[in-house]
Amino acid sequence: MIYLDSAATSFQKPEAVGHAMETALRKMSSPGRGGYPEAMQAAETLLSCRTELAELFHVPEPEQVVFTMNATHGLNIAIKSLVPYGGRVVISGYEHNAVTRPLAALAADIRVARAPLFRPDLMSEAFEKAITPDVDAVICTHVSNVFGAVQPVEAVAAICRERGVPFIIDASQSAGVLPLNMAALGAAFIAMPGHKGLYGPQGTGVLLCCEKAETSPLMEGGTGSVSIQQEMPEFLPDRLEAGTHNVPGIAGLLEGVRFVREMGEEAICVHERKLALRASEGLREISGVTVCARRDLFDQTGVLSFVAQGLDSELVGNALADAGFAVRAGMHCAPLAHRTAGTIDSGTVRLSFSVFNREEEVDLLLKALPEILQRLSN
Amino acid sequence: MEQYWIIARSVTYAQRMERVLAAAGIRTRIFRAPRELSNLGCAYAVELTGGVNPALAILRNAGLYPAKLYLLQQGKYVELSL
Repeated sequence: MIYLDSAATSFQKPEAVGHAMETALRKMSSPGRGGYPEAMQAAETLLSCRTELAELFHVPEPEQVVFTMNATHGLNIAIKSLVPYGGRVVISGYEHNAVTRPLAALAADIRVARAPLFRPDLMSEAFEKAITPDVDAVICTHVSNVFGAVQPVEAVAAICRERGVPFIIDASQSAGVLPLNMAALGAAFIAMPGHKGLYGPQGTGVLLCCEKAETSPLMEGGTGSVSIQQEMPEFLPDRLEAGTHNVPGIAGLLEGVRFVREMGEEAICVHERKLALRASEGLREISGVTVCARRDLFDQTGVLSFVAQGLDSELVGNALADAGFAVRAGMHCAPLAHRTAGTIDSGTVRLSFSVFNREEEVDLLLKALPEILQRLSN
Repeated sequence: MEQYWIIARSVTYAQRMERVLAAAGIRTRIFRAPRELSNLGCAYAVELTGGVNPALAILRNAGLYPAKLYLLQQGKYVELSL
């Protein structure tokens, strides 16, 4: 199988990730409960992971790094901490259901900052017009999970700082690929999965919290601290980490983060973009295929969508799977993004690359696709 | 040399204290604090031998503050004011 679905989850992981998880299963128990070596080793692993993440994302203190199950979990914490029922928010036109569904559940008054794909200048202007001081929160995905479009979070962060409005960044597709500086951005929260660009296992996620962020626990329960008190602790990370940690997962995530730091985000991004560009150029040569990207892949990462004229994207995705290519097709849990981009009826077929993909894999897909599309069209 | 227990609000906090003090060349040991020494319900203690004032200054500079501080005196732990 040629895996081209890293925007869903990175399938190939550094070897150290699996080894670390196995070690954790065999040698570590639960942190913050006992005082014996296996518990302290677990605690040490968690702190090491928090510290690596704090350094990668320029977070002042490791305690501001909260472990979650995934980015969706982190986004729910962030949104429900800042947005009251019926509250007012501004979002981009490319948000994932992990943002729009919690807002729907809150019956939020949503202003959508719309702009065409790959026009970060127009996106900045749209946010500038939409953000007023009465807004409870601004939420923006750093990179569209459908189109790979990089959104102007630095500019949006500056507007939010100036107007005193809290900012939540969905870094699901950018963590480990694009630089993110929590301190410089001044964001209230940055949510990310551990299992995509950070190369950790599924079941891990990270929520970066600014020091002054108001936080509302999504779950209450045991934290191994301040147990007499019946309210969740006031301090992070305990306030947002009720229950037993996913120690094997976090041990694996620690190795994934170390891998990213060793490789460097820039090198990873350059590699992935190069593959996306190769794919984009090849796809444009195929009759009936429309690539949802600029020719130069300006402001785009290694996520690329295309539409096959007259064909259901899910059929194309299935046919590619039968031919040994793992891709994703359809709505990608982001109907808002498709509405904004004009692909709501067709959906798209998405290719998404990791640092482990090779040019030969792109070439094999480009060789196989024309015959697949021909067969589906007949 | 006198033995001190610095009570931390959580294991993460205790570990941060341990790391900051280790970076300053001060050896410590972390363990679960006896319940009678903490009104937190559960807490971790950072054990320190001698030199408590420099250690507390190092922790303060790092933005770390003990929940409580005890001195072992004649087999009993006596709470000290912070």
